[in-house]
Amino acid sequence: MFKDNFNLAFKNIRARLSRSLLTLLGIAIGIMAIISLMGIGEGMNVAVTGELNSLSDTILVNVGEGFSIFSRGSIDSTDEYLTERDISDIERIIGIKEVTTQLVGGGILRFNGEDKAVTLTGIDSDIMQIQYSYENLEEGTLLQANDQNKIVIGYKVAYDYFDREISVDGKVLINGKKFFVSGIFGKQGMGGITSTDDIILLSPRDFEKVTGESNIYSATVTVYDVANVENIALEIERVINENHGDDDFASATTMSSILASIQMVLGIIQTVLVAIASIALVVASIGIMNTMLTSVMERTREIGIMKAIGATNKDIMVTFIMEGMLLSITGGLIGILLGVFGSKGVTAVLGNIGPSGSANLEPVISLFAVVLAVGVSMVVGVFSSLYPAWKAAKMSPIEAVRYE
Amino acid sequence: MIHISAVIVTKDICKVYGSGSIKVEALKKVNIVIDKGDYISLIGPSGSGKSTLMNVLGCLDTPTSGHLYIDDIDVSTLKENQLARIRREKIGFIFQKYNLIPTLTALENVALVMGFAGVENKKRIIRAKDLLGQVGLSHRIHHKPSEMSGGEQQRVAIARSLANNPSIILGDEPTGNVDTKSGIAILKILENINELGNTVIIVTHNLDLAKRAKRMISIQDGIVSE
Repeated sequence: MFKDNFNLAFKNIRARLSRSLLTLLGIAIGIMAIISLMGIGEGMNVAVTGELNSLSDTILVNVGEGFSIFSRGSIDSTDEYLTERDISDIERIIGIKEVTTQLVGGGILRFNGEDKAVTLTGIDSDIMQIQYSYENLEEGTLLQANDQNKIVIGYKVAYDYFDREISVDGKVLINGKKFFVSGIFGKQGMGGITSTDDIILLSPRDFEKVTGESNIYSATVTVYDVANVENIALEIERVINENHGDDDFASATTMSSILASIQMVLGIIQTVLVAIASIALVVASIGIMNTMLTSVMERTREIGIMKAIGATNKDIMVTFIMEGMLLSITGGLIGILLGVFGSKGVTAVLGNIGPSGSANLEPVISLFAVVLAVGVSMVVGVFSSLYPAWKAAKMSPIEAVRYE
Repeated sequence: MIHISAVIVTKDICKVYGSGSIKVEALKKVNIVIDKGDYISLIGPSGSGKSTLMNVLGCLDTPTSGHLYIDDIDVSTLKENQLARIRREKIGFIFQKYNLIPTLTALENVALVMGFAGVENKKRIIRAKDLLGQVGLSHRIHHKPSEMSGGEQQRVAIARSLANNPSIILGDEPTGNVDTKSGIAILKILENINELGNTVIIVTHNLDLAKRAKRMISIQDGIVSE
């Protein structure tokens, strides 16, 4: 009987092809929206996770609230810094491989006869390469180990600060000392973990040379065993806070905790996007119901005939539910295909118009998303054809046969 | 008292449509006994109640009062799905307007009825082909109703009515929509079916065709007489 129901459903869909195709398109668009948004969301997740996982043995230590995507504290807002004693205390903690520091202070940048007050960041070249990857650079290179009198500058520093644009190998003065631009970061805007738009990076030695200070704004700690990273972070916080007699003086943030908060935000964004996409699916399911109700009305006589020749209410219901499912599953499968290509298209467009770096975003269509899409279309098919099918099944055979 | 070899027995069957001033009594205390192997023609003018009686006998409609026994089962007390089973197993219905499923081929139309009865697909196809052969339509099995003449469609409908081996064949003006030649051909098929032991009841307003039956029951204003 399954074959008969399928046959009847299929032939009825074919007999009303244009209406069926339009109904099917509704479902396809709904599923496409869900698949592509899930794909893009998963792609973002994978990109961020991949980047941060490679830093899973790293702890960022800084003064204040800590490193969070929710609060990007201005580096000028504090005049308290980590001390040499803090750093040597951190180095004494068991399990620590290396501690590198990042110096922060103010300076005057002169270019093209204009002066600008800027924030300088002194950072070791190897840490620089971990924290600010080459991919973020628009032009030039990051600093190498023995580079002197070289700086890497942010997008706004290069293009917005002065009347003339600064280019790679361009000459600038910082506190009267001559520097050459080694690299320029791409435009980042408000996105990203750290905004590089206003940044000026130089080696710690150059930093001390131009500022005469060695204010340690933050330190980057690597550990031997990734499994201990959370415990060591707690120990670092305890040691520094004890040194300064302030429970909230500094914070040590592991990549996994940053990752967790980013994933949480991504998760929320993804859920909201999928919820919006689901509206399309609800509309599509109303479309199926509408098509099925019309079909039931048009086929009243046929339903009567089927009942007259011995079909039970269940037989009639199954036939109509099968038709609804056939429409929605076909629509769902087309939607999955459209979603796969659609998400690639959307990320390609985002890559062109969005901040630099987003071009690397590759949508990830998981098996779960596909199974979910098929499942959702099946459920939509069943639910939206349930009422029309019930209406068909409860028809009186004699009235239905008489129907003209 | 129920007749020993009776396949259909009606007891004071009444069918009333509407209520109050617009009440129409289509059947008034109909009492008939139809034996196994009977060939009955039911005649009467338009609006006399013959189609209503056919629909009640075919379990498509339920009587307002009275009892209908088919093979000793009081079907007037049965629920919708039990009635569907009676229609499927004991009755083959032939309509005036053929009533084939328009999207299905002749073969599929005949096989579908057996599908409702749970017959295995292969067996259904073999039997459907055989039945279509018996009504002379072996060459038309893959045609849809819209591609066939009225007479051919009615022969498909006859093949369909026989599919589940019912003991009773009901024809509601089976020759009403076809030309005389096709009408006689259809009657001959029905008479052959009767000769094989099936009970055949047909409604007709053509007296010549009605006279070919073994018994003639006439109905006037809802009252039957022989």
